[in-house]
Amino acid sequence: MKEKPDPVLPSQIKNKEKRSEMHAKLKREKKAQKRKLARERDQAAKLSADLGEQPPEKQVPRTIENTREPDETVCRPDDEELFAGNDADEFSAVLKQQIAPKVLITTCRFNSGRGPAFIEELMQVIPNSHYVKRGTYELKKIVEYANNRGFTSLVVVHTNRREPDALLIINLPDGPTAHFKLSKLVLRKDIKNHGNPTSHKPELVLNNFTTRLGHRIGRMIQSIFPQDPNFRGRRVVTFHNQRDYIFFRHHRYIFETKENKIASKDKKAKTSESKNQSEKQVICRLQECGPRFTLKLITLQHGTFDTKSGEYEWVHKPDMDTSRRRFFLSLSSNCRGITPHCSCLLLSMQELIIAGPMFFEVAIATSGAMTAAAAPGHRIPEVNASHYGFHPLSLLHYYHVSWVDDGIVCVLLIAAESSV
Amino acid sequence: MPRTSVVESPGCPPLRALATDVLGLIKVVEARANPAGVAKVVETWGTPDASRAVLAASLADRVVDPVLAVARNNGVVELLNPLNGDTLAAVNAAGPAPTDSAEDPLATLHLFRRHVPDSSMLGTFLTCTEKGKAFVKSVAKENAASDLAVGPSSSWHVCNSGKVEFSSVDADESYVMFGGKGIELNLWDITSCSKIWSAKSPRGNSLQIFTRPWFTAGTFLCKDDHRKIVACTNNHQVRLYDTASQRRPVISVDFRESPIKAVAKDPNGHTVYVGTGRGDLASFDMRTGKLLGCFVGKCSGSIRSIVRHPELPLIASCGLDSYLRIWDTNTRQLLSAVFLKQHLTAVVIDSHFSTEELETKSTQVDALVEAEAEIRKERKEKKNRSSKVDEGTELVDHDDSAVETYTPKRKKSGDKSKGTKKKSKKQQVA
Repeated sequence: MKEKPDPVLPSQIKNKEKRSEMHAKLKREKKAQKRKLARERDQAAKLSADLGEQPPEKQVPRTIENTREPDETVCRPDDEELFAGNDADEFSAVLKQQIAPKVLITTCRFNSGRGPAFIEELMQVIPNSHYVKRGTYELKKIVEYANNRGFTSLVVVHTNRREPDALLIINLPDGPTAHFKLSKLVLRKDIKNHGNPTSHKPELVLNNFTTRLGHRIGRMIQSIFPQDPNFRGRRVVTFHNQRDYIFFRHHRYIFETKENKIASKDKKAKTSESKNQSEKQVICRLQECGPRFTLKLITLQHGTFDTKSGEYEWVHKPDMDTSRRRFFLSLSSNCRGITPHCSCLLLSMQELIIAGPMFFEVAIATSGAMTAAAAPGHRIPEVNASHYGFHPLSLLHYYHVSWVDDGIVCVLLIAAESSV
Repeated sequence: MPRTSVVESPGCPPLRALATDVLGLIKVVEARANPAGVAKVVETWGTPDASRAVLAASLADRVVDPVLAVARNNGVVELLNPLNGDTLAAVNAAGPAPTDSAEDPLATLHLFRRHVPDSSMLGTFLTCTEKGKAFVKSVAKENAASDLAVGPSSSWHVCNSGKVEFSSVDADESYVMFGGKGIELNLWDITSCSKIWSAKSPRGNSLQIFTRPWFTAGTFLCKDDHRKIVACTNNHQVRLYDTASQRRPVISVDFRESPIKAVAKDPNGHTVYVGTGRGDLASFDMRTGKLLGCFVGKCSGSIRSIVRHPELPLIASCGLDSYLRIWDTNTRQLLSAVFLKQHLTAVVIDSHFSTEELETKSTQVDALVEAEAEIRKERKEKKNRSSKVDEGTELVDHDDSAVETYTPKRKKSGDKSKGTKKKSKKQQVA
């Protein structure tokens, strides 16, 4: 019995009592084994530390992020073809500020429930946007209508069972058309301590749109917003891509020189307090002013909306979902290619800012040189900064920051309030 | 535990393909025997410029003097050397005025494969604009620099209204068919420039609903028979026409739900490969109209062009997802995928690519090259004998070029050869 070549699995035993006994025994053994291995590893490490040798290599847990499937479509900053392609694409006229973006917002035919409220808030987010009632017009007719009136984008909010569930963004006059699934919508009034946005042109943060497809989607989103933000307004709109889900957030921020006010609630404020106990502190505080939603790309169509004879640039197909380590819009959250940036994070001169817990952080030392950037726990070898210019109206300095991250050069344009 | 094993692709055999894109670049993709089965971009020709986007490409796939023709967005048809990318000639095909090309861009292009016996001709091509103006033009070798085309040229109107989307020339290169949005499939005789057949749209359905013709792709089914035509519609149908029997389709099959954008025939004479606007690729047996199978594998963008290799059992497809993919036609497995960064418009396969050339390239053994040249010369002579044209000087000239194109340092020797050629011509003139 003991020398059985193939031990009986607990699942093969029919008697429940025996089975559970067997199972418990196996589990105990496994646990003991694991503990033993851990102890051995510990001892080896201690021994090598005593002897002054190289410590044995630490085991790195396997996560989705570090076991991602490699993707050759990542946009590299040294790719001249990419930039030539960008110059030739449909968004370049808007992004080079030759045309001011003008957005038409409409709905599906039956719009009720949270749809109208969502559109109202969306119109506050997107400057120069106009709502047009859908009526019973076909979407192709609306595209024509918008083209005749010089709109640069068309946004359609689709509602299903009184709940917005899809977003269609059409770049005019000749495409592309992106179809997103919309989920997790939270309107402003449902956000605690929400603020009310001003009518300034917002700054835009686009995170992790690094593959070729992501780059295109990023540029498309960028072309909805004006390219010359009012930094005075201190209003920031974020599209953060993480594992192919695009999270939308809308914030107001403020730089404060006070020490501990309401900001003591803030986790970041605490950390910064602990860092430098100097009396004069500039703290950045954020206030969310909704809406909040998540987008997922379903299709990207070449040309304007045409379901019958349209050609697709990218379609999500079920046979792409054979791996959980394959993503289409970004390579990985801590390995960045270049994302299209409009104007990036706004930072105070001496302070650390974190725009929400999941957004990346950038720290700036007092001297104006950058010391650290990117996600927490992620070390960057070298950061270069160059002074870009001084905005005459808003007392802001612009810094052009670049760092090398896993062989990829990351570039960020930072506006910083001038030091006192 | 997630699955970590990957299905290994068997890799593709030695192959050379040229892909063109919307920025006007031509990229050469080669798979070699040495690191087996990996296709890579080896060369990129041209500078990125959206106004010179390539709309159509055609390769005269010959052993001697292969020529690649590309139709650009600005109405220019360029003839290139597919071995080193030198521009041999650029002809303004659409019309003398530059505005013509903006309103009426070229839609299709075909470069005739039959070799003209006297070598003063570089090639003859057939092109058609979107509004239906078809041209046949010949390009002579002498005026490589100038924009003028000489030689036999003809033009005719394919249609009065509608938009031409494709044309296809049969294997003997004496018939051409056109089709498009609002244009019924029609067959023309190239030599007499006359329409010899046109299709009739199928009868309306039970509700008497009639769909307007919108053909998006088509090809002649057999090599030796110009009467069997496969045409694909925007209405996701694959149709077989037999021009000898009737004007309505003989077989009509539906495939999925998006417009079919590309079709290619198999040399076996009954199989066709179709690609759709959502990136589905499948093969059909047109004798029965049955779907043989789909080519599956992460193909996510519209397929613009499919090419079958003349000898090896493989096809290459490319399209808006910026990948050039090479598939095995027997197992329908993906052999290789190359990311080419831009939206691709056309792909052609150079079937006379062999690894021997590369070996000689690497070892630079002149003897081998010469031997190869000898073989080529022999072949050439056979051809010439068949066409009963034997001029000593011409032959020498030819052999010259044949050797030059296959010598290891192609570009440099090419430059030299140009000089020598010119000299020899001058001598002839003198």
